[in-house]
Amino acid sequence: MPDYGQFQSAGGTLDTRWFLLVASILFVLGAIGVLVRRNPIVILVCIELMLNAVNLTLIAFSRQLNNLEGQLFALMTMVVAASEAVVGLAVLVDIFHFRDVEDVDELNELRG
Amino acid sequence: MGTLQAVTLAILLLPAAGATVLGMGAFRLPRRAVQLIGPGVVWLAFLCVLVLFADSLSQAKAHDFTYWTWVQSGSFQVPANLYVDRLTVFMGLVITGVGGLIVTYAVGYMEHETDGSYARFFCYMDLFILSMLLLVLAGNLVFLIIGWAAVGLSSYLLIGFYYWRYSAVVAARKAFVMNVIGDVGLILAAFAIFASFRQVTYSGVFASVPHSDGFALELIGFLLLVGGIAKSAQVPLHTWLPDAMEGPTPVSALIHAATMVTAGVYLIARMHPIYDVAVFSHYTAAGIGALSALLAGCIAMVQTDIKRVLAYSTMSQIGYMFLAVGIGAYGAGLFHLLAHAFFKALLFMSAGSVIHAMHDEQDMRKFGGLWRDMRVTSVCFLIGSLSLVGVFPFVGFFSKELVLGDAFSDPNGGGFPQVLWVIGFLTALLTGFYTGRMWWIAFWRPPSPERPVEHPHEAPRVMMVPVVILTVLTCVGGLLQINAGFHPGWKLVEEFLAPAVGPLGWEARGIEYLVTAATFLLGLFTFWLAYYFYIQPRFSVWSARVPRLQQLLEHKFYFDEVYDALFVRPLDRAARGGDRWLEQPVLEGTPEEVGVVATSSAAALSLTENGYFRAYMLVFLGGALAGAALLLAYRVFA
Repeated sequence: MPDYGQFQSAGGTLDTRWFLLVASILFVLGAIGVLVRRNPIVILVCIELMLNAVNLTLIAFSRQLNNLEGQLFALMTMVVAASEAVVGLAVLVDIFHFRDVEDVDELNELRG
Repeated sequence: MGTLQAVTLAILLLPAAGATVLGMGAFRLPRRAVQLIGPGVVWLAFLCVLVLFADSLSQAKAHDFTYWTWVQSGSFQVPANLYVDRLTVFMGLVITGVGGLIVTYAVGYMEHETDGSYARFFCYMDLFILSMLLLVLAGNLVFLIIGWAAVGLSSYLLIGFYYWRYSAVVAARKAFVMNVIGDVGLILAAFAIFASFRQVTYSGVFASVPHSDGFALELIGFLLLVGGIAKSAQVPLHTWLPDAMEGPTPVSALIHAATMVTAGVYLIARMHPIYDVAVFSHYTAAGIGALSALLAGCIAMVQTDIKRVLAYSTMSQIGYMFLAVGIGAYGAGLFHLLAHAFFKALLFMSAGSVIHAMHDEQDMRKFGGLWRDMRVTSVCFLIGSLSLVGVFPFVGFFSKELVLGDAFSDPNGGGFPQVLWVIGFLTALLTGFYTGRMWWIAFWRPPSPERPVEHPHEAPRVMMVPVVILTVLTCVGGLLQINAGFHPGWKLVEEFLAPAVGPLGWEARGIEYLVTAATFLLGLFTFWLAYYFYIQPRFSVWSARVPRLQQLLEHKFYFDEVYDALFVRPLDRAARGGDRWLEQPVLEGTPEEVGVVATSSAAALSLTENGYFRAYMLVFLGGALAGAALLLAYRVFA
């Protein structure tokens, strides 16, 4: 049975903390992008970024804990992310059919 | 299922099918189809009743057809059964026979209605026929109550047929409320019957009557009587009948003269095993009948609306029927029912022809000259009038003399039937007078200057034929039972009904000849006397000399006023109080407050929905972070 516990590389094994660091940087970047950007497509891209950050943590922990479930869950997240991208882009395309949206805040017809 | 059983069911299903088809297809059916279906199903039902009639002629036994068990709950068991004896057949013949003639007549009378209204009218008429047939065919008290209430409902629908007229709607509501009082009486009677006999089928109840105590039977008798007097417009629940004349004239003929209002008479005859034992309630029925006959006769003398005169005379004649069945002369009462169905339907329908020709004018003082312009209708109306007065040889003579003769010669009751006879005799004189007044004023007098139509036309053939048929029946109907005039003549009606309601309990006496002659001649005399009051003013109008009495009669003995003061206005005031103190502050106020709270809190919350995408995302992220922080804190500190 192959050993998934350690990342094999020339210089030795990489500690899980590094993966978590990268993941959190990606997540924060995504979150900031969602909060400050206005272009709806960019916002969608940022959401994908956050999802992938989460995937990274799942896989990192999966490796550390020697447990396949994390990887399986990452696969599932990718499927969900793909569907979400399809739906989100379809909605956007539909909106662009009848109006040019440069700023998501223009889509505020349901505000109180 | 035997043939007879199927035929009996068909009697109910035919009008039911007619009413359903007409009701569902009101706006789509062509007029021709409505004219065929409406009266057609009634005539088909008549044929079915004829089959039962042929059977009942061959043998006197009653049929009790049970179709299935309808309700089974502990000791309460109701089979879906129909009871067919000679009384049922007799009533069925009246309902479908006279009813068929009237519905046919309505084909012409209602011709000016729009298509939708036309179909609606026949739908209601068929519904009425169905309800009435269910009432007489019912084999248990539950079916009886259903038929009884359905009759009230269809009467309500037909009185309020012209629903755009305020007065019609008010009259319909009044009739319904008065009828419901009777329904409650009947339902309570059914409860009392079930409580004392544990039975609801007729056969079961009547079998256990002999072994039950007198008080329960008296109670049942009185409760049934409440139902009967409300439906049959007897004192003191009669005030709806004159107002019911707001309905179209065929309705007045069918429901408020020939069939529905006789339901009370039928009820007493049907429940005769109970009434034969419950003497007090039985004689109360007779007393109420005599009183109603007299009061209605008095009121009819001052009415000016031709249909209202007829309405009061109906009430008066039903009083005679109550008198007869109340003293146990069921054959006489039911024969008068048959006779009355003939001549009163005839009177209403010829009056309807006149009203039709006069463009819906009903005030008979504005008619006049009809003898010249509408000869056939006038002759028919005259024959109906003379029959109502009780003139030989029309059917009314034989039936009224039979009622009065039976009351006169009744040896039971310690003289009470003889008192009733005196009242009936006086009423016969009044009948002659008010009928004469109606006839002379409306038909004989020269045309009134206010007459709405210069050259009135006779009714179309579809209206004329039923009127003529009823005229013929009025002329020859007396041959069924001639023993009132020619003692001892044959008495086909009494003999036919005897197996169902029992034979007359006493022998009619010879002195009746004199009584008969006196009643008939004096009735005719007052009819003729009216001529000298209203045409040849040899006497000034009697009522002008006694203004007090005139006022009393014009206000119909102040029944309506008293009911207004006793029930209508206090209830009205209570309703207003409830509106002011309960409805508005509590029932209406509470939901309003709930609404105010909801809208104001929604207004506050809606501030968070500001339309900025980043604000939503911030809340979302903040929530996720807070959740994560909580989870961590739990892990660390717990």
